[in-house]
Amino acid sequence: MMAVSADRPPAVPPLRTLAPAAAALVAGLALARNLAGIEGTGKELALSALLGIAFGAVLQRSRFCFYCVTRDFLDRRDARGLLGILAALATGTLGYHLLFGAFLPDPSGGRLPPGAHIGPVSWVLAAGATSFGLGMALSGSCISAHLYRIGEGSLASPLALLGAAGGFVLGFLSWNGLYLGTLQAAPVVWLPASLGYAGSAAAQIGLIAIATVLLARAHRAPPAAAGPQAWWARRWPAHVGGILVGFIGVLSYLRLGPLGVTAELGSLARTAASGAAWFPLRLEGLDGFAGCATAVKETLWSQNGAFVAGLVLGAFGAALSGGDFRPRLPGAAEALRALLGGLLMGWGAMVALGCTVGTLLSGIMAAALSGWVFAVFLALGTFLGWLLRKRRGW
Amino acid sequence: MKRIRTLLASATLLLAAHGAFAAASDVLVTTEWLEKNLNDPKVRVIEVSVNPGQFERGHIPGAVNFAWHTDLVDPVRRDIVGRENFEKLLRSAGVSQDSTVVLYGDTNNWFAAWGAWVFDIYGIKNVKLLDGGRKKWEAESRPLAAVSKQPPAGNVRVAGADARLRARLPDVIAAAEKKGDVALVDIRSADEYQGKVFAPAGIQELSIRAGHIPGAVNVPWGEAVAADGTFKPVEELRKVYAAKSIDGSKPIITYCRIGERSSHTWFALSKLLGYEVRNYDGSWTEYGNAVGVPITNLAGTVWGGK
Repeated sequence: MMAVSADRPPAVPPLRTLAPAAAALVAGLALARNLAGIEGTGKELALSALLGIAFGAVLQRSRFCFYCVTRDFLDRRDARGLLGILAALATGTLGYHLLFGAFLPDPSGGRLPPGAHIGPVSWVLAAGATSFGLGMALSGSCISAHLYRIGEGSLASPLALLGAAGGFVLGFLSWNGLYLGTLQAAPVVWLPASLGYAGSAAAQIGLIAIATVLLARAHRAPPAAAGPQAWWARRWPAHVGGILVGFIGVLSYLRLGPLGVTAELGSLARTAASGAAWFPLRLEGLDGFAGCATAVKETLWSQNGAFVAGLVLGAFGAALSGGDFRPRLPGAAEALRALLGGLLMGWGAMVALGCTVGTLLSGIMAAALSGWVFAVFLALGTFLGWLLRKRRGW
Repeated sequence: MKRIRTLLASATLLLAAHGAFAAASDVLVTTEWLEKNLNDPKVRVIEVSVNPGQFERGHIPGAVNFAWHTDLVDPVRRDIVGRENFEKLLRSAGVSQDSTVVLYGDTNNWFAAWGAWVFDIYGIKNVKLLDGGRKKWEAESRPLAAVSKQPPAGNVRVAGADARLRARLPDVIAAAEKKGDVALVDIRSADEYQGKVFAPAGIQELSIRAGHIPGAVNVPWGEAVAADGTFKPVEELRKVYAAKSIDGSKPIITYCRIGERSSHTWFALSKLLGYEVRNYDGSWTEYGNAVGVPITNLAGTVWGGK
């Protein structure tokens, strides 16, 4: 006779976590349903909200947080999280290239695939990415991770987002000078235009493979976890999260546009500040770029707004079901770091036309040189921030 | 012999008259018709949409995409595409001498109608609009494809541009100064027409002055469109314009802000009602900035500032 425990069906989460998680999911679905009723754009808004829910749940369950996984590696040589990001990039690269072939059969004609996040490459992008990395280290995570942490009940994350909105305003104030001096003439490099689709996919997968081998070699296995956890409370492995993030990115590009989490925040900041005497009346050339396009708001719901609302609700539901919902008041130092870090991230995301999701993930998946440049300088900024915090004991 | 000649002449006249007062089916196709004829190799479907990514994410199966701001304009001059480039474009889209071209697009066929105007300027025959455009096709849940295919090259020959379909600044000034008997139709919103605003919400101001060309009547383009995005029936259209004294008794010039939406009204007036119409593609961005031309400004705004 077999052991009783082996025969037992897998346990279900207790009602006290299951019921509120289901309620969060229902709220998300109700939001999507309501958005679907908006004339004209309803279908896209509803789909944005649904993709946001999926994205938020995956980020939360797999702890897909750019700063956390970098810190794991720097502190303990635990490379699993960073390998998860590489898994997302590899999945997304293959999926995007598959779609490019359908969207734009000939990549050499001088056109760019519609809406893809392919930005100008210049020192401004490098400076923005470095600032973003520094701010991410100070505030404890990037903008997408702060959004999913709101779902986990983090009370420092709203402060970081508030700081980021302020950073956006600083970005708008510096924009016209940067655009006229540098960005207007900066090259916009899309790898398939010169390498073809096969060449660009091969080059990217090759680079990702090299990074994977290097990280895997440096990896030190962490000590085993304290005890077995129930399946619903267990974190998903980072590479599973990465592959799912890659899939969501490709599906989003197929139906709506590349993933991004800062456009709505930027739009809110721009709408709030526009009209003030010190705010530039015109942001030269900004609305012509794909990526973190931050139009002044004219309607209540934008695609990005629906996506972000879905993200927070999805993360909230996932956190509730996994027992990760733990509201906690930040200390004064943490609150200050969140605000300051947010400010640096906001400025960086504005001048780099996006953040870790919009420029790094969606950009590299789209085979944009700007995505790779962002990744390199983001790593530099993050390392500096990590070092600063370590030295100062923050 | 003489009799036969007379007969032939009357038949030609009849045909010409029929051409001038073309029935809707001659210049428009319905969504049903297009779906049934999609596999006809002589039917070439071309999308001209305003929003990038529309075509790529789903288009009428077999359609080819024209980007209005690169394919249908001259890259250097502010002008429509040149003859050679247009011929190249059409051939690579698989258009041949015997093709029937069906144009369609988003936002109620604004730019598809502009495409039809460009096709007409270059004398391409058998060009029709899909009545209702993308809006109706999607509302009826007809199939869309995400994969675009390169059709075999066509052999169409493009003639020189026909200047008679285009109004230029001097033509419009002459009309404004009542030097010719021409009717002007401003298809912009009432607020733009009256001079309350310089451009629609969300669009950069591109003119120094607000208002309209003296003598122009205001018939916003939307008045030609039914709820489902199709053109209103011909008799109804006739009434809409007749109410503003546009009845085809004299030549007409249509204009808007940059000359594209007005093609929609150009199409209704010339192709559906058979009136003599020119589109002024310089439109308000040219006229509102031109030096030494009269402007009617009902709202009293002269400069942008107060």
